[in-house]
Amino acid sequence: MGSLGVNVPAAIVFGISLFIGLVMVIVFRHTSDQKAIHVAKDRLKAHLLALRLFQDQIPVVMRSYGRIVLATGHYLRLAFKPLLFVIVPMTFLIVQLDRYLGSVPLEVGQSFLVKARMADANALNDAFLQLPDGLATTAPAVHVPSENEVAWRMVAARAGDYIVNIQVSDQTFAKRLVVGSGLSRLSSVRLRGQFWKRIFVSGEPALPDNNFIEAIEVQYPARNITFAWIEWNWIWLFFVLSLAAGFLFKSILGIEI
Amino acid sequence: MKWRGTTRAERRRLLALAVLGVLLLSPLRAHAYAGPGAGFAVLSSFWTLFVAFLYSIYAFVVWPFRQLFRLLRRRKAYGKAQITRAVILGFDGMDPELTERFIAEGRLPNLAKLRGQGTFRKLRTTYPAISPVAWSTFMTGVNPGKHNIYDFLARDLSNYLPYLSSAEIKGPKRSWKIGRYTIPLGSPRIKGMRRGIPFWHWLGEAGIFCSVIRVPVTFPPEKFPGVLLSGMCVPDLKGSQGTFCLCTTRASGDKFREGGVRVPIERTGSRCSSYVPGPEDPLSGGAGAELRVNFEIHPDKSGNQARFTVDSQSFALKVGDYSEWIPVKFKAGMGFSAHGICRFYLKELSPEVEVYVTPVNIDPGRPDLPISHPVTYSIYLAKLFGPYATLGLAEDTWALNEHVLDDDAFLAQCYANHDDRERMLFDALEKTQQGLCACVFDTTDRVQHMFWRYLDEDHPAARDVPRDQRPSVIQDLYVRMDELIGRVMKQIDDKTLLMIVSDHGFKSFNRCFNLNAWLHQNGYLALKTGKTESGDWFDDVDWSRTRAYTMGLNGLYLNLKGRERQGVIEPGADADALKEELRRKLDGLVDPASGRVGITGVFDCDSVYAGPYVDNAPDLIVGYGDGFRASWDSVMGKVTSQIFEDNLKAWSGDHCIDPRLVPGVLFCNRKISDEKPAIVDVAPTVLKLFGLPLPGHLDGKPWTVGASVVASVGTPTAPVAIVES
Repeated sequence: MGSLGVNVPAAIVFGISLFIGLVMVIVFRHTSDQKAIHVAKDRLKAHLLALRLFQDQIPVVMRSYGRIVLATGHYLRLAFKPLLFVIVPMTFLIVQLDRYLGSVPLEVGQSFLVKARMADANALNDAFLQLPDGLATTAPAVHVPSENEVAWRMVAARAGDYIVNIQVSDQTFAKRLVVGSGLSRLSSVRLRGQFWKRIFVSGEPALPDNNFIEAIEVQYPARNITFAWIEWNWIWLFFVLSLAAGFLFKSILGIEI
Repeated sequence: MKWRGTTRAERRRLLALAVLGVLLLSPLRAHAYAGPGAGFAVLSSFWTLFVAFLYSIYAFVVWPFRQLFRLLRRRKAYGKAQITRAVILGFDGMDPELTERFIAEGRLPNLAKLRGQGTFRKLRTTYPAISPVAWSTFMTGVNPGKHNIYDFLARDLSNYLPYLSSAEIKGPKRSWKIGRYTIPLGSPRIKGMRRGIPFWHWLGEAGIFCSVIRVPVTFPPEKFPGVLLSGMCVPDLKGSQGTFCLCTTRASGDKFREGGVRVPIERTGSRCSSYVPGPEDPLSGGAGAELRVNFEIHPDKSGNQARFTVDSQSFALKVGDYSEWIPVKFKAGMGFSAHGICRFYLKELSPEVEVYVTPVNIDPGRPDLPISHPVTYSIYLAKLFGPYATLGLAEDTWALNEHVLDDDAFLAQCYANHDDRERMLFDALEKTQQGLCACVFDTTDRVQHMFWRYLDEDHPAARDVPRDQRPSVIQDLYVRMDELIGRVMKQIDDKTLLMIVSDHGFKSFNRCFNLNAWLHQNGYLALKTGKTESGDWFDDVDWSRTRAYTMGLNGLYLNLKGRERQGVIEPGADADALKEELRRKLDGLVDPASGRVGITGVFDCDSVYAGPYVDNAPDLIVGYGDGFRASWDSVMGKVTSQIFEDNLKAWSGDHCIDPRLVPGVLFCNRKISDEKPAIVDVAPTVLKLFGLPLPGHLDGKPWTVGASVVASVGTPTAPVAIVES
C-alpha cells in the first residue's frame, strides 16, 4: 500500500491496462483489414446460427461444423497481421513491467538463497562470497556438483540495494539484490552470453565471457496483487483489465476486433 | 544467406516470422499475451469453438430422441411421398406469351428443355390478377374469399380511407407518459390480415423441412417448423411500403405524388450536409416528430466523386454509383433507437448536389420488427451474405416514375437485390436437401412494370425514344432468369420436383381509365356542390349522394347502407340491381380516343368468391382490356374530369386487368396432364406429392404429375402444344 492507502501495484496495472487497451485497439484498427474481419466474424456467427436453424438436417450440421473450423482459422489469420505489429513492443513492455511487478524485494530477516552456476564443477571449491555490510550468510555454502552449482543461504539485517560479489580465483563477479518493500526493478538472474534469454529474463549486464561463472541467481518471492478482493498475478490482472479496456474502447471507437 | 532471389515482401515476411518464432519459443509466461487484439482474437475463436462444442454435446445427447421423433413424423410424411424435395421458383409476373416468344427465338434454352421434356402451361390466376391476391392463393390453396386478400389496399368502412390489406402495425398496447415524453411499454403490435394456412405449415407439421424465401404476403412471419423470410408487404422503417428520399441543393421542386420525400442539402463551403428521414419518434406519443440521421458530403476536387460521412461511417462514391447498404441508427433518446439500412446513390455533384437515398429498410441483422421465422433466420442470412433489402417492394419503382432515378440506376438496384436473393436461394437449396424450397423473385415483375414501354411500339411513355435505340431490358431479364433456372436444374436430382410458377402475366399499360371519374360523370358518384374534381382519397365526395366508388386497382364498391358509414344503397335487390346496371354499362366500354375496348369483363364477387371473408371483398371486380388499367388517380380515390388518358409514366406494363388476359406460367420438370392448371392448385399438388392428406377446405385440385424427370443437361426437344387458359 502507498502512503495514501492506495494499492500502488494494482493502480499501476490498472492504469497501464487502460492505456494499453486503448493503444492496442487503435493499432489493431490501423493494421488490420477491418472489413475482412467483420465479414469473417459474421460468417462464423452465421455458421453457428446454422447449427440451430437446421438442426434436423444432419449433413447441414456436419458441414456447418467444418465451416466453423475453417472460418475460425480464417479469422485467426486475419488477426495475425496486427499481432505481428504489436507483439514485439508488447513483449518488451511486458518484460520490463515484469521486472517491477513480477516479484517483490526480499524482506529484512527473511532467509533467501544466492546460487552461482559454474562452467566447471572443479571450480565450485574456488568460489567465495563477499558480502556487503547488512547481509550475512546463515549456513555454509552448499555444493551441488551434478548441477555445477553452489548455493549460499543468507539473510539481510536491513533494507537496501546491495551488491553481492562472488570471487572465483582472481576474478570477482557482482550480482545486485534488493531488500525492502515497495516497487523496485528486480533482476533475479545475471547471465553469461545467452543474448535472447538475457533480453527476456535478466535486467543486468552480461557476465564477462570466458570466465568461471555462467549465472548468478537470487530467488525473489512472486508478487500477488489484490484487486477486487482477489489475489492476482500481475499478468493475469493485466490480461483481464486490458481486455476489458480493449472491449470498452473498441465499442466506443467502433473498431472491429 | 539466401536473400538473393527473394522479393522484398518475402524477406519482410521471413523476418517477421523469425521474430515471432523467437518470441513464441522464448520461455516467458508474458509472451502468451500480446495485447487485447490478440486476446480478443484468441478468446473469440475459443468462444466460437466452445459454443460449437457445447452445442455438439447438446445435439449428441438429444439426437436419439429427435431422430426417433423425426422418424415417426417423416414416416408419416414420406411414407406415400412421390418426391423427396420440391423446389418452387416463383417469378412474379413472368408472362407466358413473352416466354414462348423468347423460347421460339432460342434465347431460353433451359425453359425450352422444361417445356419439351416436362410441362409448360399457362397458369390461371386469381380475380383480380394482383400479386398479393395470387400469391396468397398460391400458398393457401384457397380463393380470396377464404384468405381475405383482395388487393394491396382495403378500405376502412368508417371513413372510406385505405389501409394495407395484408398487415396492420400498431404501437405497443401500453405507454407511460412523463411530461412531454410518451415511453412505449412493449413492442409494436403486428397483426397479419391474410387468413388461410400456407401449405408449408402442413408440410412442416408432418416433419418435412421447408425453406421459404420472399414469398409475398408472408409478413408478419408465422411460426411453423421451417425457415421463412418475409417478402412483399414488409414495410420500411417508416412503416410505409417504401419512401425514398431525394436530398438536393435545388431550391424547389414538385412534391412527389407518392413514394418519396425531398430533403434539402445545406452547403457550408465545400461541405454539404443533409439527413435521412426516419420513423416517427416513439417518445413523441404520436405527435409526428420525425427521427433523422444526419450525413455529410465532401466533394473532392475532381468534381465526380465525394466522400460521405454517415454516423461514424465514411465511404466514397462516384457520380452514378450506389453505396453498399449502410447501417443507420435513429436515436430517439432514453435508450430508444431504430436500426435500418439504406443505400446512397450520388446523382449529381455539380452544379447542384443531389443524392438519392433508398427507403430505409429494416436491418435484417438487427430487425426491429420480425421479418423472418425464426427471427434468427434473417440474422443468419445477413451474417452469411451481408445486409440485404428487406422491404417488400424493394425495387424503387416510384423513384424511376418520378425521374429521380434513371433506367440504369433503377436496373442496377433491381439486379443488386436479385443477386442477393439468388444467393439466398442457393443457400436454401443446399440446406434443404429434402423437403420444400420455395423462393419468389420479384425482379421480373418490377422490371416488366417499368420497361414495357420499350416493348410496346406505340407506348406514350417511350414515344421520344427511337425504336432502334430501345434497350432490350425485358428480353435480357428473361435470359437472366433462364440462366438462373439452368443453375438450379444442375442442383437437383431425379427425386426433386422443380416447378416454376408466376402469379400472372403482363400486358402493356398505355391508357389510364379513371373509374371514379366515369362513376361521377354517369351519376353514381357525387361531389360536393361546386366541385368538379376531388382530392385524393375522396376528398370533396358527397357520400350521401354516392352510390358506388372505387379505390385500389380493380375493386368497385357499392356505398352500401349498414356496411359503409354513409351508405345509401339498400342491401339485397337494390344492390343487386345496381351491380347489374354497372356491369352492363362498364363491360365492353370503348375508349373513344383509341377505339379499343377498355373493359373486357366485370365480375360479380358473389360469383367468383366463396368463403368466410367474402363480406370484405369489393362488390365487383373490373377487368380492364389489353393496354388499359385503372388510372393513378382512380387508384387513389380521386375524381378527375378526364376518364381516359395516356399513361406517360415509366410504369408502363401491368397485369391488374381482366385476369383471363394475364395468366401466369407453369413449368415443371415432370409431365402434368391437367390442361387448365390454376395457381390455386399448387398447394394441394405439393401436399399430394409429399403424400399428405388434403385439408377439406382447399379450393385447388391436385394435378396428375408423372414420374419421369427432365435431365439437368441435354438438348431441348420440340415444343408441345400450349393450352389456352
